[in-house]
Amino acid sequence: MKPDARAGAVNWLYAAPALLVMGVVSLLPIFETFRLAGEFHRIAVDTRFGPVMRTTLSLTAVTVLLELLLGLVMALVLWSPFKGRGFVRAAVLIPWALPTAVMAMAWRWIYNADYGVMGDLLFRLGLVASPQTAFLADASSAYWAIVLADVWKTTPFMAILLMSGLAAIPDELYEAAAIDGAGPVRRFFTVTLPLLRPTILVAVIFRGIQTFGLFDLVYVLTGGGPGGRTQTIAVYVYDVVFRYQELAYGCALTVAMAACLVLMTSLLLAVARERRTR
Amino acid sequence: MSRRLALVLLAALCACGRAEQDDGKVHIRYLASPDVGGFSKVIIERFEKANPGIKVDMIEGPSSGDARENMYSTAFMAKDDSYDLAYVDVAWLPKFAAQGWLRPIDDLLPPERAKEFLPGDVAGSTYQGKLYRVPIQSDGGMLYYRKDLLEAKGIPVPRTWEELAKAALALQTPQRAGFVFQGKQYEGLVCAFLEVVWGFGGDLLDEKGEVLIDAPPSVAALRALVDGIYERKFIPQAVLTYQEEEARNVFQEGRAVFMRNWPYAWNLMQKEGSPVRGKVGIVPMVAGPGGKGAATLGGWGFSISSYSKHPAEAFKLAEFFASPESQKLAFMQGGILPTRRSLYADPDVLRAAPHMKDLGRILAGARPRPVHPRWPRMSDALQIHVSAALSRQEKPAEALEMAARELRAAVR
Repeated sequence: MKPDARAGAVNWLYAAPALLVMGVVSLLPIFETFRLAGEFHRIAVDTRFGPVMRTTLSLTAVTVLLELLLGLVMALVLWSPFKGRGFVRAAVLIPWALPTAVMAMAWRWIYNADYGVMGDLLFRLGLVASPQTAFLADASSAYWAIVLADVWKTTPFMAILLMSGLAAIPDELYEAAAIDGAGPVRRFFTVTLPLLRPTILVAVIFRGIQTFGLFDLVYVLTGGGPGGRTQTIAVYVYDVVFRYQELAYGCALTVAMAACLVLMTSLLLAVARERRTR
Repeated sequence: MSRRLALVLLAALCACGRAEQDDGKVHIRYLASPDVGGFSKVIIERFEKANPGIKVDMIEGPSSGDARENMYSTAFMAKDDSYDLAYVDVAWLPKFAAQGWLRPIDDLLPPERAKEFLPGDVAGSTYQGKLYRVPIQSDGGMLYYRKDLLEAKGIPVPRTWEELAKAALALQTPQRAGFVFQGKQYEGLVCAFLEVVWGFGGDLLDEKGEVLIDAPPSVAALRALVDGIYERKFIPQAVLTYQEEEARNVFQEGRAVFMRNWPYAWNLMQKEGSPVRGKVGIVPMVAGPGGKGAATLGGWGFSISSYSKHPAEAFKLAEFFASPESQKLAFMQGGILPTRRSLYADPDVLRAAPHMKDLGRILAGARPRPVHPRWPRMSDALQIHVSAALSRQEKPAEALEMAARELRAAVR
């Protein structure tokens, strides 16, 4: 055996355990999902599918947009040097580091009608009529309650991704722009934003995929209610497979979900490519 | 060394199935909620003493019923013999039985002996004419009321929806709600809602299995609830976020006059330090015009797994848990309601808990939710639309019309 081939074989051997684990926990389930999927025609007549899809898509669009704007601000603030930056950076990460189910439980207390702090805060600000406001009892406020909790949790993640993009922008460009007479705002729009675009794209796709599959937060906070208003596709798939025991249809929904994600991602990529070539 | 590690890992991988213990005994395994009060352990000890060849492995799982249902489902889907017995809720039974996961027990518990149990509990253990479960714990919804508040104003205990509304309005204050129930979108909402529907003379399905939930009595029942929240305002809007514990906390802290809940709340409210201790009464749920107050049947029991290698021993344990002695112990130590009729007239039980007489009456009239393998889907259709009406996203009539349409599609 030639030394090269031998090294290659050894390398494969080293990679084998990782590949095996990947194959068993990732590829095999995906393959199984496709194998088990059936009854696709039911999607067309399923009265739950439409509302669930609408909720999921709007939740994804709204939260990712808010996170992007807030995350960008956060990233810019955390990137500029100031005293105690290390501490603030660490502190900002806490929401993201918390397990979702735990933090969702905390938000349930915050929104609690009888003793929740949210009602008290808004009442003191004069925004609601009574401190005993049941936020999760009303369809639209329950929806926004979920948006707020999700944005609170995942904006730090967005900020970190964007900071990695900021780190890749060479200082010389800012210096050159400053010499040319561009102010901070101008510098942001002509240097930072264009050079950050690939990172933004990755971050949006990343968060989009995650939010599209949002499960734990909804499950703990509202259980999909009231009136199914906050039920996401992931919660519905869970119900279909585990509670209704309709494995084939549940897998079909999962395949449809994956197709949506592929479509969404390629659309984003196409838009980005279009803008780059222009 | 590394070879040994690999072997250990391999062994761990292969040990996914159930390891057979070699103590020469037959092991009976089941999953239950945490053994609060410790009475299950006492019963198991007694059982093992009486049956030296059998060892019982009780696994104390999560207290959430949904979580345990999933654990059972997952094991059964894999045709795994992890559990010889399943401690099954009345709502899971049709689904589990339809999947073939449970072994019929008509041969082991013949009808003449099944008669010793409350009729509702037997009905809830039956699927398509076959008995699948030994009833262990009975459960039914009922109306809790504040005896002291009613007596102070000389208001009689309400027996109709109208009387309930009037009494609640008369006794509620800004700090104290009139009536609370389980209004969150989940299984409990269906239980609470069905009691009102039955009270108004409606039903979910008729004897032939036709959907009746969009008929006028059911619509009137839903409208009564919606009006109670938004028009007459004796039900706080917050009930839309309540499950059992939220409702109980509010009531137990003295912040509600009436509450719909299960019997478990009684024991907790009579505990030392409870602000409403000795101030609470129970009656069957009130009736609307044209109906009769009814309770939704809950309840638990032991089913034998189809995949168990020791069904006879498993049944022995189930039977032991269902014996009058064990049920008495479970009631005295854990407040678990017996399924045997005789215990509701038992002098010892009545001396310890005089309210058991009322409770026996409520449970004797308890009605099961429809026994259908597609019940979870049916329940969800109902949950979603009732919840949508309670949150004013849909009008009561249109909500139940849509629910009925989805139910008809599911029943077919």
